[in-house]
Amino acid sequence: MGSTTIKDVLLSLIALLIFPGGLFLLFVGLAYEWIDRKLLARMQNRVGPRWFQPLADTIKLLAKEEVVPDAVDASLFIGLPIVALAGVLTAAIYMPFPGLPPVGSFPGDLIVTVFLLSLVTICLGLAGANTLDRFSLVGATRALTQLFAYEAPFLLALLGPAFVAGSWEISEIIGYTDGRWLLITQPFGFIVAVIGLIGKLEIPPLDAPEAETEIVAGALTEYSGRGLALFRLGKGVALVLGLTLIAAFYLGGVATPLLFLAKTLVLLLVIVGIHALFTRLRIDQTVGLWWRYGTLLVLVQWLGIIIWQGVMI
Amino acid sequence: MSEVGKRETFTIPIGPQHPALKEPEHFLISVDGEIVTDVVVRLGYAHRGIEKAVESRTWVQSLYMLERICGICSHIHAMAFCLGVEQLAGVEIPPRAQAIRVIVAEIERIHSHLLWLGVSAHEAGFDTLFMYSWRDREKIMDLLEGLSGNRVNYSVNVLGGVKYDIDGAQETAIREAISFLEERTRHYLEVVTKDALFLQRTRGIGVMTRSQAEVLGTVGPTARASNVYRDIRVEAPYAVYDKYPARIILDNRGDLEARFFVRITELFESYRLIMEILETLPDGDLSTRIPRRINAGETVSRVEAPRGELFYFIKSNGSDIPERIRARTPTICNMMSVVKLLVGHQLADVPMMLAGIDPCFSCNDRMVVLNRGRNKERLLTWEALRQYGIDYYKRRSA
Repeated sequence: MGSTTIKDVLLSLIALLIFPGGLFLLFVGLAYEWIDRKLLARMQNRVGPRWFQPLADTIKLLAKEEVVPDAVDASLFIGLPIVALAGVLTAAIYMPFPGLPPVGSFPGDLIVTVFLLSLVTICLGLAGANTLDRFSLVGATRALTQLFAYEAPFLLALLGPAFVAGSWEISEIIGYTDGRWLLITQPFGFIVAVIGLIGKLEIPPLDAPEAETEIVAGALTEYSGRGLALFRLGKGVALVLGLTLIAAFYLGGVATPLLFLAKTLVLLLVIVGIHALFTRLRIDQTVGLWWRYGTLLVLVQWLGIIIWQGVMI
Repeated sequence: MSEVGKRETFTIPIGPQHPALKEPEHFLISVDGEIVTDVVVRLGYAHRGIEKAVESRTWVQSLYMLERICGICSHIHAMAFCLGVEQLAGVEIPPRAQAIRVIVAEIERIHSHLLWLGVSAHEAGFDTLFMYSWRDREKIMDLLEGLSGNRVNYSVNVLGGVKYDIDGAQETAIREAISFLEERTRHYLEVVTKDALFLQRTRGIGVMTRSQAEVLGTVGPTARASNVYRDIRVEAPYAVYDKYPARIILDNRGDLEARFFVRITELFESYRLIMEILETLPDGDLSTRIPRRINAGETVSRVEAPRGELFYFIKSNGSDIPERIRARTPTICNMMSVVKLLVGHQLADVPMMLAGIDPCFSCNDRMVVLNRGRNKERLLTWEALRQYGIDYYKRRSA
């Protein structure tokens, strides 16, 4: 009895801290960041970074002194990056990552997961608003504005598969989508989900919150050293998890690690392609895009699903 | 806002150090949310005192000094200076030298416009276009290196002619590079006039009407994009532009899209000019002798730099050292249009509109003495000036 408990606890700890969550996830995040950067560089006729560059960047940043600016709440300044990273790492528990069944699961964990993924953006916004730097403040305002724009359509796009699966529990949804390519039946939902992920991760063309030619580094302008490294790690992990979620829901599931790798990489290729092809949108254009087209597309999608289900019954 | 406003304004400093600016200048942007309400420009961070420096150098040494006013259009500065000095000295330079000067000037225009295309695309967050246009610009840099041995300050001019000849191999290289670039430029023109997302950032942004462009005294492509018929190559032809007339590219929209259109279409014009001059490149000497002392007198020399009219005032007292040289660069003429037009636009448009005039800050920084009726001028020694600076910043920070 006692030994099984200890074994369970140990296994849980390993699942949380080493594999598949925790350390392994961090490294996968860095690897995906490298693939992202390398692909983009090749598309832009550049050489691009070497394979260990994101890791080297992270180690260097972690080793650097963290400068806490005057007139900020120091505990918030240091705490927010940790909360952001912890949030996305927690989200991994309910994900079929990397092509394995989720470690934990309960009814409605989809909503919790989506919230935990949004935690990065919220922390980013708070971190920007916490400092007195003018670029940070504008960046924070933009980050939160963008959050309010894409969050509802993104969530609705992820609820489409949940609706047809008849459950809001990720493990049950992926049981339903395994082998079923919802991309074909719910194309609008897929498009909105992919663009939603681009907005969530502030990848160009939806990178108005950190447009370097206007507001330097946006909300993260004052961050250096550890805080910046943690935010970057958090974004890398959020990228992997977002890709996992969309691949699992729309691209016929990620039942094995090989399928996971193939489908998430194809998705990443699509995102990098969009990044390379388009000009940055202004924040008003971003918000307009979401409320004029994104939400409408998703609602049309939902109408289609409801009518279809009515017909089937 | 010079006075303390009744309502607190939120100001965003673009510069002196900012990723949108490639050179240090200060733009203090007051915003209401995302909308720009006021702009204060402070120039002078890249002042180098070149005009003063040439007053203690010989005419030949001054040429090299003036060439370094601008890194992008170094040839046109030297050319304006040479044309003026040759006029003062009453020297006619050989036709081949004139033609080579114009060829290099047009190659420089191509390099400057392609550079601008990349920078503007980068300001809009369109890095792919930035990378591609700069990759293609390398062809031009290679050409310049092949012609003169240098990529930036190619130093083709000497007083009385040019230093470098264009031989058969170089001519072939120029033709090849230009036919390659013509095709690429057609593609870029298509991108900037058809890409829907890019047009969202340029169409209708920063509209300057023709009358505004005239009142604000804009020059060069910035003015031509507002339908102002202004090009020194046509209005007052110098060197061989009377034999090979340039066509003025105009656009009546006056927005950022028009500026993209005008600059990229001008590239075709430069390609055509270079090809035509190469066809009929006259034979002969590269330079002629010019006296060491230049006749006393003063003259004005105007040329069309890639960014617009470049104006040189040259005064000689008959010695081997210039009495006074004044250079007015196109950026200073266009600067006011930015300040005027930015108000009412979004913060996100600021970098693009700044880049829209193709600013070259180190070119435009001059010292001006404002004598507001006090008639009090002071000459400071270097030590005193240094101490003044230290005290000034101490007072400010206190």
